[in-house]
Amino acid sequence: MAVGDPRNRSSSRRREATDLYATVLEVVKRYHGGARITRVSYGVGMPVDRLRNLLERLLALGLLRSEELDGRPVYDITPRGQEFLDTYWKMRAYVEILGPAGPRGRSHA
Amino acid sequence: MRLGAVEGDLILEAKARVEADGRVVVSGNVRCRGDVAFDGPLECQALRVEDGEATISGDLLVHGEIAGPDGTIQVQGSLTAKTVDVDRRLRVHGAARAEEFEVGGSLEGDSTLEADRVEVGGRFKLAGKLTARQVETGGWLDVGEVDLESLEVGGSAEVRGGTVRASIEVGGRFRSTAPLTFGSLEVGGFAELAPGSKGRGVEVGGKFSSGGGLTFERLEVGGIGSIDGDGAGEAVEVGGKFDVRGALRLRGKVEVGGAISVGEELEGADLEVGGRLTAKRAVFSGTADIGGAVTTREGLKARRIRLERRSHAFGPLVGGEVEIGSRARVEDVYGDSVWLGDRSEARRVFGVTVRLGDDVTAEEVVYSGSVEIGHDAHVRAPPRKVERLDPFPL
Repeated sequence: MAVGDPRNRSSSRRREATDLYATVLEVVKRYHGGARITRVSYGVGMPVDRLRNLLERLLALGLLRSEELDGRPVYDITPRGQEFLDTYWKMRAYVEILGPAGPRGRSHA
Repeated sequence: MRLGAVEGDLILEAKARVEADGRVVVSGNVRCRGDVAFDGPLECQALRVEDGEATISGDLLVHGEIAGPDGTIQVQGSLTAKTVDVDRRLRVHGAARAEEFEVGGSLEGDSTLEADRVEVGGRFKLAGKLTARQVETGGWLDVGEVDLESLEVGGSAEVRGGTVRASIEVGGRFRSTAPLTFGSLEVGGFAELAPGSKGRGVEVGGKFSSGGGLTFERLEVGGIGSIDGDGAGEAVEVGGKFDVRGALRLRGKVEVGGAISVGEELEGADLEVGGRLTAKRAVFSGTADIGGAVTTREGLKARRIRLERRSHAFGPLVGGEVEIGSRARVEDVYGDSVWLGDRSEARRVFGVTVRLGDDVTAEEVVYSGSVEIGHDAHVRAPPRKVERLDPFPL
């Protein structure tokens, strides 16, 4: 579910930082190593200055890598980034299936 | 300004409005710097929209490339071009056709779209049919019927049936609201298929559901899966939980590390259960190895059945060769050769040759060939030899 997806069944769920990181990684992945920051910003729907902070965090964690192409940085997802995405989507599915937890929670399993 | 045919290039600054004298035909390229509007159809060699929005109130025919660095393009009619590369947004009311569409933000169409390759960073929404070799989107996709070679979606995708000949890869959520024929389907999050869908391989890490019967070759469920009808294919591997409302008929192996439940008959060549299997009846032409638990109403039949120590079977076990591990618990057992390991428990045992290990507990043992009883084995009634055993169930 991308940021802003109107059909996201769990849209009432507060969007966590991990959701944003996953969305950024999914958009970057589509460009196969040639993702420019402006393109990613349009894909994610986020201003470039805010996106830059997320990209730096993802680079620091080794989930993205960047290189210069025609004097401008381009981004690509790393195997660790792909591992993050695989785990993220699987976990999202389990969280939605299990439903809210705690004494007042209901199980939808 | 009012234009008809233009020789050479046409450069328009921001807020320009071109009234069409029928159709605006530019023999060269058109370059728009900022917001520009054409009040009619446009034909040119190349179109470039920089840092603004171009609106074409008619058809757009571009013999070469449409480029939109920091640009948005809206076309009220159809769009035809060689390639399209727009940073922000492309919206087409009529049919769209190009070799390549590359859009950074969103691509929206009210009709059909034909291309070799479509790549969208954000959102892709199309009311009509999508025909392409390769489609990728990072955000979400919502399109009509599809005729594709491959589809890759990072966020969520919804299609109204069709064909994806090679692969579908979805990170988030995938849904087909009409029958879909596909090569392989790989889903990290959620996948939902309409009844009558068929494909070769299905691999689900999160949650998978088929609204009706499903035909496949190989199905792997790491998360949670369900088929609301009959399933038919080559092999199934379940690491998580998998439910089939109807029958599941396979030509190959069933491997269950998690839990599988089949409402009707389960058929296959071989079975390996580390977790839990539940079915109305289960029939295998080869071997059934059970390390966990098997529950059937009518029974489990295989050429060779082997229950590991401490495993459980509820419902009859019918085999050529049946081997019950130590401390395992079973109900009725039928076999040409039946061996109950030490401290195992059975209800009734029917076999040509029967061997009971030490401390075995059984209510009844009936045999036609030979019986061998270990130390401290407890059989409620003395083992009974018969001329011929009654036919085994299943």
